Amino acid sequence: MILFFLTSGLFLGWSLGANDASNAFGSAVGSKMVSFRKAAIIASVAVILGAIIQGAGTSQTLGKLGAVNAIGGSFTLALASAITVYMMTKFSLPVSTTQAIVGAIIGWNLFTGNKTDSATLSAIVATWVTGPVLGALFTIPLFMLVIKVKVAAKIHLITFESYIRTGLIIVGAFAAYSLGANNIANVMGVFVPAFNLDDLDLGIITLNSARQLFLLGGMAIAVGIITYSKRVMETVGANIVELNPEAAMVVVLAQSLVLFIFSSSALSSFLAGLGLPRIPLVPVSSSQVIIGCVIGIGLYKGARNINFRLLGEVAIGWIATPLITCILCYLSLFIFKNIFNINVGSKITAVTPESGPISVIAGSETSAIMRYILFGILAGGIILLVFYYLLERKKRLELQKSETKFWKNLK
Amino acid sequence: MAVFTRTTKNLILNIDEFFDNVELGVLVFREGIKSYLYKNLDDFDRHLQKVDTLESNADKLQRLIENEMITHSILPQHREEVTKLLDEVDEIIDSVKSSLNEIIIEMPEIPDALTNSFLCLAEASANAAEELIPAARAYFKAPYTVREKLLKVYYFESETDKISRDIKKQVFQDMKELDLAHKAHLRYIIQHIENISDLAQTAADLLAAMAIKVVI
Repeated sequence: MILFFLTSGLFLGWSLGANDASNAFGSAVGSKMVSFRKAAIIASVAVILGAIIQGAGTSQTLGKLGAVNAIGGSFTLALASAITVYMMTKFSLPVSTTQAIVGAIIGWNLFTGNKTDSATLSAIVATWVTGPVLGALFTIPLFMLVIKVKVAAKIHLITFESYIRTGLIIVGAFAAYSLGANNIANVMGVFVPAFNLDDLDLGIITLNSARQLFLLGGMAIAVGIITYSKRVMETVGANIVELNPEAAMVVVLAQSLVLFIFSSSALSSFLAGLGLPRIPLVPVSSSQVIIGCVIGIGLYKGARNINFRLLGEVAIGWIATPLITCILCYLSLFIFKNIFNINVGSKITAVTPESGPISVIAGSETSAIMRYILFGILAGGIILLVFYYLLERKKRLELQKSETKFWKNLK
Repeated sequence: MAVFTRTTKNLILNIDEFFDNVELGVLVFREGIKSYLYKNLDDFDRHLQKVDTLESNADKLQRLIENEMITHSILPQHREEVTKLLDEVDEIIDSVKSSLNEIIIEMPEIPDALTNSFLCLAEASANAAEELIPAARAYFKAPYTVREKLLKVYYFESETDKISRDIKKQVFQDMKELDLAHKAHLRYIIQHIENISDLAQTAADLLAAMAIKVVI
């Protein structure tokens, strides 16, 4: 039953993978430079790594906005966000998982009578605006550099294309890593305060409770990528690639840099060490950052290339998404509490952000189940990888055989 | 990655070799026509054999390049156009081969008064094709320079047209001693030679459009 509550988070993770992975590999897959299968595997591994290694920072920020102290509350929050994201995507409205989850947390705060930390909220909202702006600012010099190198180096078109292909894979992997690091908080952040699992020793690394949840969330994102992102990648990718492959690579790189900056606690500490202001570790919308990056390319090429309608849609998304999720979450919490009699959380009386959750789910039984689930999924993933490798090898050998036959017959 | 780099390098080498073959083919065509006009048939035969080998090599390379581009998904965005360009350039060496073959089969009798004109015609037509090759190579390395290189192709193509028109006029209006069948035969041979520059122009048009697409 306890693990059932996680399903809404996993659903949210799945929809995040299905929609947002296209921002990392859409350009490569859409332009047929990288096969979808290869992109999906790289993105899945990178997302999981990003979530485990660097996912904690943004989760803490969301925790400051509202430390959901009951698993029923976490479930409802994630469900309300997932429904909003799903419905808005279905009606082709601009949507961000980040904005949805923030709206849901505010809805939970309102329902339980908790105060929303205005400083954290304003930091989060500020990054929604600065994310796309930073994206555009990163894109312009990067694009200028690539163009300069291309013209000056006089590289053969095929060699250049092979560099771009390699670049798209590396940058895509980095973008997927940053997506995992930055957006895992949206998927699993609300569950972190409500769970307290035993540490899981994987031999090379020991995963604490939060990281186990991140691993599970990362896997949900990976499943979203593998099962549903192909069409999105091909559609979004084709739109991005219209710029041309080098511009697409720059756009993805700039987007991943922005996401990385807003999720790297090491970078934030480094800046603080230099006496500079800390970077808020906040989940930002990769789709909106990428729009900022594309606009950066448009600015470089001349303002007439900018699609101002897109800008308007992004601005609407900033208001509409949190508002809709907030209302939906409030109503859902009301229903869950009063009709199903589920504990969705209560007012936190004396708690500091560092003091952690009030009521948590512990128990070795839950931890054991979680362990089996994680090992099962990991084993399944490894088997799938081996199967894919063997399949590719077989295809390659068959192709070689048919080639040899062709040239032999031609002679 | 190492496999991929090797494929890329091989492909670049194959494309270069393909253009080398066509370039040499055009060069041999010019020499072949010269040999025929100076009635040096042994040399002409040698040139014909050379063109035959070059054309066959170019065909093989063209197939290999197309195959590799598809198999390794190289240049996915420009593949169709590059394939079309290789096709158009291959048409030139095909035409060179068929022209020389027509000449050796039909053995047209070229009046001495027209020897120089025919030489000029072959020269201009071959020049147009020859000038196309550096432009085609530039498409891959410096697409910004393609259009300026193509100017020469257009120039030689119009020169060929002019020379061809003059020869035809001379044959049909001034050479009353030739019978109509002979005149028609000469016109047919002129068209064959002229065809090479026309094919170069078709390829140049395609190349110009391709270059713009790459540069933008």
